[in-house]
Amino acid sequence: MSQQFLPDNPLPQEAKVPEEIARFSPAVEAEIDGHLAKYPPERRRSAMLPLMFIVQRERGWLDKPGVAYIANRLGVRITDVWETATFYSMIYTKPAGKYHVQICKTLSCKIMGAGNITEHCAQRLGIKPGETSADGKFTLSEVECLGSCGTAPMLQVGFDFHENLTTEKVDEILDACARGDYKFAVKVR
Amino acid sequence: MADLIKVTINGNVYETEKGARLIDVCREHGHAVPSFCYYSDLALQASCRMCLVRIEKMPKLQTSCTITCTDGMIVTTESEEIEKAQRAMVEFLLANHPLDCPVCDRGGECELQEMVFDWGGLEERFSERKNYAPEKFLSPMVANDPQRCILCKRCTRVCDEWMGEDAIEAGGRGAHTVIGTYDGWLNCSECGNCIEVCPTGTLLDATYRHQARPWELAQTITTCTFCSDGCQLSLGARVGEVMRAVARDRYVDGINGEFLCIKGRFAHPFINHEERIRTPLIRYKQGGRLVPATWDDAIGYTAARMRAIGEAHGADAFGIIGSPRLTNEANYALLKFAREVIGTENFTASDAFSLAPCFENLSAPLATHRDIRFAKTIILVGGEPEELQPLTGKQIRQAVRNGGARLVIFNSVPIRLKEQAAQFIHINPGTEDAVVLALAGANDDELAAGKLGVEAKTLADVRRALDETQGDCVLLFGSELSAAAMATLAQLPQLLGAREGRRFLLHPLPFYNNSVGAHDIGLMNAKLSVAQLLDQAGQGLRALYIAGSLLPEHLRGREETLRQLDLIVVQELFETETTALADVVFPAASFAETDGTFTNNAGQVQRVRQSIPPVHQARPDWMITAALASALNADFGFQLSASAVFREIAEHIAAYEGLRYPLLKDESRPVQAKHALAGARDMTGAIQEIRARIQSMNVTSARPTETPKVGHELFKPGTLTSKTPQFPLLYAGNPKPPTVLVSPLYQITVDANLRATTVAAGD
Ligand code: SF4
Ligand code: FES
Ligand code: FES
Repeated sequence: MSQQFLPDNPLPQEAKVPEEIARFSPAVEAEIDGHLAKYPPERRRSAMLPLMFIVQRERGWLDKPGVAYIANRLGVRITDVWETATFYSMIYTKPAGKYHVQICKTLSCKIMGAGNITEHCAQRLGIKPGETSADGKFTLSEVECLGSCGTAPMLQVGFDFHENLTTEKVDEILDACARGDYKFAVKVR
Repeated sequence: MADLIKVTINGNVYETEKGARLIDVCREHGHAVPSFCYYSDLALQASCRMCLVRIEKMPKLQTSCTITCTDGMIVTTESEEIEKAQRAMVEFLLANHPLDCPVCDRGGECELQEMVFDWGGLEERFSERKNYAPEKFLSPMVANDPQRCILCKRCTRVCDEWMGEDAIEAGGRGAHTVIGTYDGWLNCSECGNCIEVCPTGTLLDATYRHQARPWELAQTITTCTFCSDGCQLSLGARVGEVMRAVARDRYVDGINGEFLCIKGRFAHPFINHEERIRTPLIRYKQGGRLVPATWDDAIGYTAARMRAIGEAHGADAFGIIGSPRLTNEANYALLKFAREVIGTENFTASDAFSLAPCFENLSAPLATHRDIRFAKTIILVGGEPEELQPLTGKQIRQAVRNGGARLVIFNSVPIRLKEQAAQFIHINPGTEDAVVLALAGANDDELAAGKLGVEAKTLADVRRALDETQGDCVLLFGSELSAAAMATLAQLPQLLGAREGRRFLLHPLPFYNNSVGAHDIGLMNAKLSVAQLLDQAGQGLRALYIAGSLLPEHLRGREETLRQLDLIVVQELFETETTALADVVFPAASFAETDGTFTNNAGQVQRVRQSIPPVHQARPDWMITAALASALNADFGFQLSASAVFREIAEHIAAYEGLRYPLLKDESRPVQAKHALAGARDMTGAIQEIRARIQSMNVTSARPTETPKVGHELFKPGTLTSKTPQFPLLYAGNPKPPTVLVSPLYQITVDANLRATTVAAGD
């Protein structure tokens, strides 16, 4: 892991993406500045995750210009961004659908029938876990424990938990999404 | 000496330094502890859990790679419990590992393979489907088989800590973690150190991939022929063909450890290249062709012409030019030829700059690369070691990152190393001399600061840092300094005075593998520089005897006058701009085909060993010179043995006194030449000269603000490096090909622009 990137010590040009770099509205820039202000300048890479969420909210996913933007703002290399981004299932390194349906596949949920839920979703949406529907509405994923084992099986849409699932419950959720009147309870940061 | 403490390992009590790492202490005393991720002098990883030991009073088994010894520690490295745990770890490591050793390049020298012999189980209990990913290319130099990875992360750590590039990282998580890069393409300096340190066949040398099996190769330890750092490497050869160069510690253990740069590791294909000159060549008449000849004819012809010229015009009609790329033996034979056979002092070596002012005024020992790694203060004036002396660059980086050294850089270009610098002082181009003036004392701060384009306070700060240093202080300098400045810098340790607890060391940064040797032999402090010698062409000078080729800066613009000479004799590997002017060309043996020594920028005299017999009819340079001498009735008495030449060097060159090949045998204990230290000299004259130079200096050009691209020097296809087909590809910007599943070299067949052209001479 790299250390000591000082702001007055910018990285060599070629270590950054020389191509296009994402631009954001003043409001978004201010929001990003707000996150950066929380950390001492030499530790600004700590703002990696909040920035990723913002870039992804604004651009749909972490595309190249977005990654370049983060690397630039934080004074890290694109491989560092890549390393972090690929670690998290909620950070998209590929274009993702509007509704990201993430089904827990860890032990408690698995025992309580997560397999059926996944199969059901896959059938309804016509995609396999890891894929995005052709209309760009849905992405289906299987993820590790989300900490809701007591109410297994569970899934997450965006950041919303849906617990004690049955196939009927799943249908309700997916119907709402398909109609477009699904209301996100948790706003993306 | 640090405090000594006692540790008990398997019932034996050992004394060891406080703070020593347990795994090292165990191994030092012969208690084998297996490991994958531990790599000395890299950040700790502790992910493989092979190094488990039992320590009394600690719960659970402990990873010995992360434990520092404390007094009274009682350790067990072998027990049923430990073995069971280690076997379980190997089983996990193999859970996703394919059973493809028979087609893996690393098979036969794979650390995982060896570990499995000792710790593996007979049966595999994981019946799940293994992760699968196709083999692919990460760059023209690095091939990648992701499924073989055991996630020890040595590769990512060397990339970051040694190279400062962070080009390769671990993405994903859990069982799906893969080593890779953003976008799947490696844009870095292509050092290949990740390949070297990988214990498995995950990262592979793309240039050697599927070419040979390790056990077919005869490995020969030798010294790299590219830059002045003098890395030790091992050439793997099969029936007269060099297949690869490695620094893997099972084969070689030199000043560089397992480090090599792109040239050392990948630029060996020139050795067996089809364009090597095969036979002696003679151009019988001006403007004619070079015609193949036998050795006897060529030597006889040359001797006859030399004799005739000597009789007609005298000894000073000859000029003899050695090369900083050749062995000490070759250069010594040339010098002997000039003095004893021809009887002239008209000799020199075709180096870019002379180190004579430095060595004549040397007032502190030369810093070895190990010294640099453990230095406390490092001052770098000019130069760009990351590109031109990569091992030095790596040592500086590690001194700062792993050793907390204070690095001060004076450069007109924001070089990459600046990222590590405590102070990067951006100076105006061409004002490097003023830095020396400022380091030598405060009197001229106004003047120096003005020309450098920095504040006087900055210079005072650097002097204070020098003043306060406890421990080693290394002064490095590049080619930019004038002779007077180089001399003053070499005297700086005297000028600043001795102080308890501080030691000054000097480290010049010449360009070529044997620049220092060429100087030591005496070719460089001859009365003439190359330019001066060549300028006599057409006047006193009638014949030239050149080993290697002239540098472009010496040759260009002089072709016409040189063509007027009566005789030009050249010893070369390839046809170059210099052989184009030659009347006689002798095919010389490359460093892989000859025995000898190179002296590196730390003054270490290191062995060059013959890996394969000379290709075609080539002969070692010193043998050609000796043959020529004998045709002119002078017996050099070398008896076809390089060690005899070296013995004579040791008898004649004071710095090499007492050295013999057997003393240079062990590459892990390199021997430094004994360069004489000059005492305090009166430098007022030199300082006056620098001052005058600076005063009259007109700073006009602006300071470059962009950091030069990685590889801007390393990738330049030179006479030798362009023979590796991948170099031109890298030089052209290392484009990511549409598919990474086949060798990126295929692009060359589609796009002629990517094909080899030589842009840098010398290399
Ligand atoms: S690629 Fe090799 S060096 Fe890197 S983590 Fe995998 S096994 Fe270790
Ligand atoms: S196992 Fe599914 S939420 Fe914990
Ligand atoms: S060597 Fe200690 S955990 Fe890998």
